[in-house]
Amino acid sequence: MLLDPAPRGLGVLDAVYRISALARHNLIIRLRDPGQIISYVVMPMVLMLVLKPLYVRAMDGGATQIATGLMVMFSVFAISMAGNSILSERTWRTWDRLRTSRAPAPELLIGKTLPLFVVMVAQQSILLVYGCLAIGLPVPPSPLLVLAAIVIWAFALLSIGAALATLVRSHGELSVISDVGALTLSSLGGALVPLSIMPDWAQAAAHISPGYYALEMMQAAVRADVAGVVPPAAVLLALGLLAGVFAARRLARGWGRGGLL
Amino acid sequence: MLVATDLVKRYGTVQALDGFTLSVAPGEIVGLLGHNGAGKTTFVEIVSNLVRPDGGRVSIDGKPPSAARGEVGVAPQHIALYPSATVREHLELYGRLAGLRRAALRAAMEELSVVLRLTELLDRRAGKLSGGQQRRTQAASALVHRPALLLLDEPTAGADLETRQAMLDVVKQRAGEGAAVVYTTHYLPELTELQATIAVARDGRIIARGACDDLLQGLPGEVRVTLDDQEEIALSTSDPATTLIDLLRRVDRPVTAVDVRNPSLDDLYRSLAVHDAS
Repeated sequence: MLLDPAPRGLGVLDAVYRISALARHNLIIRLRDPGQIISYVVMPMVLMLVLKPLYVRAMDGGATQIATGLMVMFSVFAISMAGNSILSERTWRTWDRLRTSRAPAPELLIGKTLPLFVVMVAQQSILLVYGCLAIGLPVPPSPLLVLAAIVIWAFALLSIGAALATLVRSHGELSVISDVGALTLSSLGGALVPLSIMPDWAQAAAHISPGYYALEMMQAAVRADVAGVVPPAAVLLALGLLAGVFAARRLARGWGRGGLL
Repeated sequence: MLVATDLVKRYGTVQALDGFTLSVAPGEIVGLLGHNGAGKTTFVEIVSNLVRPDGGRVSIDGKPPSAARGEVGVAPQHIALYPSATVREHLELYGRLAGLRRAALRAAMEELSVVLRLTELLDRRAGKLSGGQQRRTQAASALVHRPALLLLDEPTAGADLETRQAMLDVVKQRAGEGAAVVYTTHYLPELTELQATIAVARDGRIIARGACDDLLQGLPGEVRVTLDDQEEIALSTSDPATTLIDLLRRVDRPVTAVDVRNPSLDDLYRSLAVHDAS
């Protein structure tokens, strides 16, 4: 045979090469439509500024509550970014083409979500820096701990977004679930109103919300309270892993290849 | 290169494949014919490792489809491109996913751009391309890594003449280099130009397989004679030459035109359709 086949890609380096190719491609596509990213950075900044006087007057640590709370709330909206980016592959029918390549489903998923992961880490970092500079959030004594918390939260959110994308049948369904879910879960988790002043039933229900664990983790990280970071971080990591594995399995099978799209 | 044996696939109450068996040798182009729903696309999806068969076996160069990923180039029936990505970005993505590095990738892209007439379009976004240009982009991204097995599912559907000719040229070139090609189409003259062997699918199985000439043997051609008053006499025959001589002997008026047509793939297709209907 006169063919000149490409070298077989079995090693870790080949996997990294394929993931970087996918990540690069998805970053290009993402940057060509940056509206959502910009709004999820600018909107919480405006809200922080407007709500700051209210929170500072109403409670001790009001600046921390409003900065971390809105950061968590608006990062939850990123579930829809992750979900939509995966769902678009279905609309464009490109996912099946990717599945015929040498990259297995976990590589495809990582390559797809890596640019979003970077975007989300950047979004949360910008909001925290903004919180310190403009809202009066105390400068965290341990920036690395804060970064670790941001990374874990971004991972959990992207995995949940990917899993959701494999379950819904359309962008509309995803929008309803992610937007309503984001508002409900982050509010229930104490992102808007501190849990301590919420009714008993809401305080009990908060424990089913990833937003609750994210807020606990983020506020502990800002205080450099390692012991306070570990339990919620473990919950979010476990949730992220479960959702990620679920999404990879669904995507590997073409997740039904039917529905409304 | 490709051996598919007794493939069975059912979607709910629909039996998509029912004992589908087909082999393709290196360098061979197989024209896979059949009505809509005959099982062509399901077969392509199984070989591409997109769908698991309920029964039967597929081997690509001795390996199952799951182990042969990357050795197969697939151009699906529908357009599957990223609207906001350029032609160049598509080729880079699929080339890199196949493991092509810088120089090899550049060379492959340059060659395909020329053959598929994409050079001027490389920096144009896929969403801004015409249907034919999108078809060529899709084919290029399936071919960029020089796969040993090509699965082209109606690659020229709705395409313009330029696209069709470019596609046929590149398929012939790749087969000439040793690639095995499965080419599904409803445009039968394309298969004659590709010098393809033929496989006809019906009800989820292959009902006729072989060289084009062998399959056409015994099928009727047509002799058509036009007389001076524009009256036409048309006869279906398996021996057009003898029939024509016989006809000319019997006609006692001036003849203005004679047309002799040997059996074509269209006739084969029609005869199988008639058989199907009966």
